[in-house]
Amino acid sequence: MRVSDSMLALPLTAIFVACFVAPLAVLLLLSLHGDISMTGWTLGNYAKFFTDRFNYSILVETLLLGLKATLVCLIFGFPIAWLCSRASPRWQSVLLFLVILPILTSVVVRTFSWIVILGRQGVLNQIVLGLHLSHEPLRLLYTEVGVVIVLAQVQMPLMVLPILAVLSKIDPNLADASRVLGAGEWRTLWRVTLPLSLPGVIAGCILTYSASITAFVTQSLIGGARLIYMPLHIYQQAVGANNWPFAAAVSIIFMVTVMIVVAVLSAIGRRSETYGGA
Amino acid sequence: MAARSRIRWDRLSLLFVFGLLSAIALVFLIAPTLIVLITSFTASQSLKFPPDGLSLQWYAALLDADQMQRAAWNSLVVAFWTTLIAVVLGTSAALAIARSRSPWLRAADTLFMSPLLLPALAFGFAALIFINRLGFTPNIPFLVLGHVIVCVPFVLRTTLASLSQLDPAILEASKSLGAGRLMTFRRITLPLIASGVSAGGFLAFMASFDNVPVSLFLADERTEMLPIHLWQQIETNLDVRTAAASGLIVMATLLLMVLAERFAGLTRQMR
Amino acid sequence: MTPTMNRRRFLGAAGALGAALAAPRLALGESKTLVAATFPGTWSEADRQVILPAFKQATGATVTQSIILGTDQVARLVAAKGNKPPFDVAFFDAPQVIDAVREGLIVEYPVDKSPNFKELLPSAQDKWGPRITMQVIGIGYNPSKITGPPQSWDDLLDPKYKGRVGLTALNSQLGIAFLAEINRIKGGSEENFDPAFKFLKELLPNVGAIGANLGAFATLWQQEQIDIAPYNFNFVQTLKAKDVPVELSIPATGPVGWSTSLHVVANAAEPELAVQYIDTHLGAAIQGQLLKPPYDVIPTNAKVTLSGAITTSLAKTQDDLAKIRTLNWEKLNPQRGALIDRFNREIKI
Repeated sequence: MRVSDSMLALPLTAIFVACFVAPLAVLLLLSLHGDISMTGWTLGNYAKFFTDRFNYSILVETLLLGLKATLVCLIFGFPIAWLCSRASPRWQSVLLFLVILPILTSVVVRTFSWIVILGRQGVLNQIVLGLHLSHEPLRLLYTEVGVVIVLAQVQMPLMVLPILAVLSKIDPNLADASRVLGAGEWRTLWRVTLPLSLPGVIAGCILTYSASITAFVTQSLIGGARLIYMPLHIYQQAVGANNWPFAAAVSIIFMVTVMIVVAVLSAIGRRSETYGGA
Repeated sequence: MAARSRIRWDRLSLLFVFGLLSAIALVFLIAPTLIVLITSFTASQSLKFPPDGLSLQWYAALLDADQMQRAAWNSLVVAFWTTLIAVVLGTSAALAIARSRSPWLRAADTLFMSPLLLPALAFGFAALIFINRLGFTPNIPFLVLGHVIVCVPFVLRTTLASLSQLDPAILEASKSLGAGRLMTFRRITLPLIASGVSAGGFLAFMASFDNVPVSLFLADERTEMLPIHLWQQIETNLDVRTAAASGLIVMATLLLMVLAERFAGLTRQMR
Repeated sequence: MTPTMNRRRFLGAAGALGAALAAPRLALGESKTLVAATFPGTWSEADRQVILPAFKQATGATVTQSIILGTDQVARLVAAKGNKPPFDVAFFDAPQVIDAVREGLIVEYPVDKSPNFKELLPSAQDKWGPRITMQVIGIGYNPSKITGPPQSWDDLLDPKYKGRVGLTALNSQLGIAFLAEINRIKGGSEENFDPAFKFLKELLPNVGAIGANLGAFATLWQQEQIDIAPYNFNFVQTLKAKDVPVELSIPATGPVGWSTSLHVVANAAEPELAVQYIDTHLGAAIQGQLLKPPYDVIPTNAKVTLSGAITTSLAKTQDDLAKIRTLNWEKLNPQRGALIDRFNREIKI
């Protein structure tokens, strides 16, 4: 029997259907029932989530957290990508190596090092107090600011790489033309480079945003059990309170929210591709 | 004259701002890893940085850390099998996707990539429920399958990128010279995409070794995974042995990255 | 050095490594392993350094520690009911024993297989599992910052401690016991926790940090982020051993304590090893060792006389220990979920 090319994808498809799609379907089913033995259909779990302000606020806080982390990544990540695109190949490799290193180091290790840095006697406070930037040590650990900082560092590579990919493909003649026509560097950046790099920026934002809001380890280790975001909430309901149907409902809500955000950003991304195209 | 000096001022200010932001970002990216590495060599009992003195005592303490060693071994075994399965299945799926225009395969591509965007914690929990409903308890094979789902997107992405740079004319030439499909694959395609596949395999290995959300649900104390063990230590003990273990992981990662760069041109794949 | 040669050698090495990894059992050698739960902090350290070597010498088996709070242990055992449990030995505080017996999570302790059981004090010989120690809470304080031990829980409200008070999340026994004790002192009852929460809200301006978990709480002391907080006798001793300045003061209203015990889990994978492991905790020699610093674990073996920090802070004899007030766990347990919920909502800094 002649094995066509498309059939090469069958084994992986089979595994995904059995190990990814099926479990998610069961998750959805469980969320619509009252208890784990799945005796009665109910929308009670979803109602419980949306009517209780506490639950609802966790979702909002999580979405806002992603926004903040993504913004920080963008502000610092774009310049690195920009510099990298203009560097010589050798320096590019070095810079890329440094950028990728964090994302390959174990996330627990990275978060742990931030616990060392952000603590009251940690490095950051030593610097801050030493430079007299503040009288009291900053409280960063177990606060949202701390979580945003660490998330930004952990996810930064996800922002830098797509932007770099797009920046490298921008025709340098366009920037030259802009300069010849009299625009300064900043104007060129704002009017030419940025719009052309928008697809990469959006791609980076999508990856960073979804990674930030689902970053269970970082949120929990730096935020502590007091700052509850969606992943920890799911975990606490599933393992701590043993309330599987409710945890399943929260998981579904979380996944749907992420999908909506990604879909919206992707749509914007696709429209932005027309800015630079022929 | 005036125009020229204005442009230089402009360029300088841009380079300055971007340079400053980049420098901060780079320090930001590298410092934590360096700090934990240096702290792991401390001679004192606490996690103060800069350390009060250097010593290898905490690395020596790792020799006694039986449970940590067992967890590390478990993570290695699972990562190995995950990478193997992910590379084999991912490469063959990539071949199918790269060569066909059918909408089914487009959809399959999105499906295969979705674990990267969806919350892995929700997936881990779903997997646990699924296994439970089927009447099983989680064990190593299920854990490996769970890891494959979240790690195969890396293999897929890098392999597809490699395949897209493959000139179809070469394949045509091979076919017209009489080579069968398997031979063409083995002799022509595979060597040309090898670096893409290896880079993807490397990323999958690291992702599996480092995975927490899936392991949290599918692994238990009998099959303890290293990241979860380290996390437990951080939450309960917070002593310097964790820093030493972290130091080891950092050094191992660096070593593997350098190897991947030498043999598979890792940074080239990322561009 | 052609690329083909490089790749082949690399693949060959990878293949060899793969073969090694594929046979994990061969590489590690055959030896039985028992999975036992233990509490974070003092107990996991004490177990690792004293019990595990003794156990290994006696039976040749290794132990994998599952470091997990009592309430989480119950949750996980309930989730695994009907299947193999995640650990074979449960480490419970008094409140969890009630829930575990009701849910059928543990089996009656096979006394005849445990030679050291008879040496325990009569009050420690429980049919569901021996009581191996007792925990006591009081006011922990940093003696280098606070002169003179605090005499009452109300001292926490003192404005001079603004931002220096620590609290711990309610998922730990320490948190719940503290809340229940405050509630009792302020006139509340098991049905009415309003007085306790009123106290906490008054305390809020003073609270500098709320420890997310016991490890994080210990770090707060280490990094001198807090100077005064409800704390547990044994944790104080452990921190002192790490040169962290902290002492325990028993308030005038008296100490509050509860017993801690070990149990064999139902459907255990290694029930024989489980009993032997628990038995190792009961012998006079081991309990005498655990009594010494830095663990200062209160013993329950009748042959072990109290000494050290226990006698200076808590009680001179076992009879005195027996007089330490305990709480009504039968009534408190059902409230736990609601209390944690209320704490999360109302107590925010």
